[in-house]
Amino acid sequence: MAAVNSRRGSRLLPTVVLIAAAVFFIMPLVAIARFGFQNVPTVLLGWSSLFKKWTLDGITGAFRDRNFGPALGLSVKLAIGTVFGTIGLLLPTAVWVHLKLPKARGLVEFMTVLPYMVPGIALVAGIKVIQPHARWFLNSPYSLIPYYVVLALPFTYRSIDAGLRSIDLRTLVDASRSLGAGWGTTLRRVLMPNLRTSLVSATFLTVAVVLGEFTISSILLRKTLPVFQATYRSSSPRGAYALSVLFLLGTTAVFAVLSLLTRPKSARVKKIDPVVAAVTDEALATQGLAT
Amino acid sequence: MTALEFKSVRKTFGTNVALEGLDLGVMPGELITLLGPSGCGKTTALRIAAGFEFADSGTVSVSDVDISSTAAHKRNMGMVFQSYSLFPNLTVALNIDFGLRTRKVASADRARRVDEMLELVELGRFRDRYPHQLSGGQQQRVALARALAVQPQVLLLDEPLSALDAKVRTTLRDEIRRIQTEVGITTLFVTHDQEEALAISDRVCVMSQGRIEQLGTPTEVYRRPSTAFVARFVGSMNELEGTVVDFRNVSISGRTVAVPAHGQADGTDVKVLVRPEDLTLVDDGFPGTVTSVTFQGATTLVGVRLDVIDRLVSIDVGQGDADHLGIGDRVQVALNGGNAVCEAA
Repeated sequence: MAAVNSRRGSRLLPTVVLIAAAVFFIMPLVAIARFGFQNVPTVLLGWSSLFKKWTLDGITGAFRDRNFGPALGLSVKLAIGTVFGTIGLLLPTAVWVHLKLPKARGLVEFMTVLPYMVPGIALVAGIKVIQPHARWFLNSPYSLIPYYVVLALPFTYRSIDAGLRSIDLRTLVDASRSLGAGWGTTLRRVLMPNLRTSLVSATFLTVAVVLGEFTISSILLRKTLPVFQATYRSSSPRGAYALSVLFLLGTTAVFAVLSLLTRPKSARVKKIDPVVAAVTDEALATQGLAT
Repeated sequence: MTALEFKSVRKTFGTNVALEGLDLGVMPGELITLLGPSGCGKTTALRIAAGFEFADSGTVSVSDVDISSTAAHKRNMGMVFQSYSLFPNLTVALNIDFGLRTRKVASADRARRVDEMLELVELGRFRDRYPHQLSGGQQQRVALARALAVQPQVLLLDEPLSALDAKVRTTLRDEIRRIQTEVGITTLFVTHDQEEALAISDRVCVMSQGRIEQLGTPTEVYRRPSTAFVARFVGSMNELEGTVVDFRNVSISGRTVAVPAHGQADGTDVKVLVRPEDLTLVDDGFPGTVTSVTFQGATTLVGVRLDVIDRLVSIDVGQGDADHLGIGDRVQVALNGGNAVCEAA
């Protein structure tokens, strides 16, 4: 009886912690959603008004704003550019570090955390150094991509690093190379398919950084989506918050679908029970047929 | 003409010397095993042949063409690894097809070759399975098929059996030998398992500390070890103290036994290394007491503590001959010293 009680107790605590964490995470979102989608004065947003006057007016107003389309377009292009830049830079680097410089892994990890410590405004100040040499580049809105690549580093490097730790990297690379594949083919046909999950999460995190970054784009006078949202907030606060909620849910949904679709076929087929495999092995060996 | 040749290959990792001027030639169609303990340089030699490591000095050539500085993916080598190396995202058939595709072989030829390889390793019905749906032994057989599909000049096997359980290991070992002989491919096999090396090889190359200790047929290496290291590493050995009488006789506890003692001065104290099967139970020999009787199937291993030299020895006794023996029995032991090795004490 005491054992049963203790088991119940041990199940209760994680459940309580889980619920508390969910409430902590979801409540602010619900509050923002209510503010953005309910046409009720803020002081009256209580339990009694929970189901009253829900409307999409705020968000449709934002969609109709003439600055919304260009800002969204620019942010999407920047997100795509940043994703390619990040994966193009980080995947070969991480593979190289794992294979050739395993002792430097700690140093590289530390370097990837630096963007956390350096404020965005300091990053922008660094532009003065290259400004005279790369004015043509800095005039382009796409000059934000390198900043975003750096800002996304703490998240993306960890995601790729975790993926690389989960596979037998050296053996897969050696096997691929012994079969005549160069580094490009090895990355494309062996590593990327086997790192699909970590690459999708790196992509998700990168897009989240791009769609949320305000400081640098605002200082550099780029009209990205977060800058539009900040500006729009002054004229229509409800619309701006509704937009935030919509993008949060939208990107989460897109990536949930994406990660399901990009699941490797091998993960979708049933794994054979190791005991069954061993028995099969032994049976075949006994028959002199296999293994 | 040698199919694969190492000439004075030296390799160091920091201050650690992995290979100390390796000279080795593998003849076409031959299977040579590099055998030795961990850190003896056998895997380094294999990785240098594969192009994953480059020698500090010396050359590696295939069919007399120097490939020392050729990148791994441009060498025509097939390799099977110790750990399971199949690409998890590809089916069995696509794994075998991988090397053919990178070599841009025509589609019809690729399909034919994949079928041939699946037939060779008898895994045709598993062609659409993914690696995680196969047992360890099956995965290694697919890895072998994948390595052979590209028709490499040399096949490199890096302890391909060590992750498997004993029974599967023996079956797959014989399978590898059958396929190697059938295909007639020059093969370099690395292992630390002496039984595996003796069973599978045309020649065995015993290595220690980056050097070759002995290169010879399995029988030569086992029956006539050229150094004490080889004698100890390949098979089990009994050690008896003695004194050299002359170049072919050693005195052990007052009895003169015919043991080759070349290179040892008369009167030198030596250790005589002798295999369990070279000790026999006789009527007139070194007296001793049976301390253990271990049934091993075809033979029985009898442990005897010799009285005069207070030394425990193991003796291989044929089937049935040890049935009457029990612990504590008094016996007499004789030594056939023809294959024994003398080492300065």
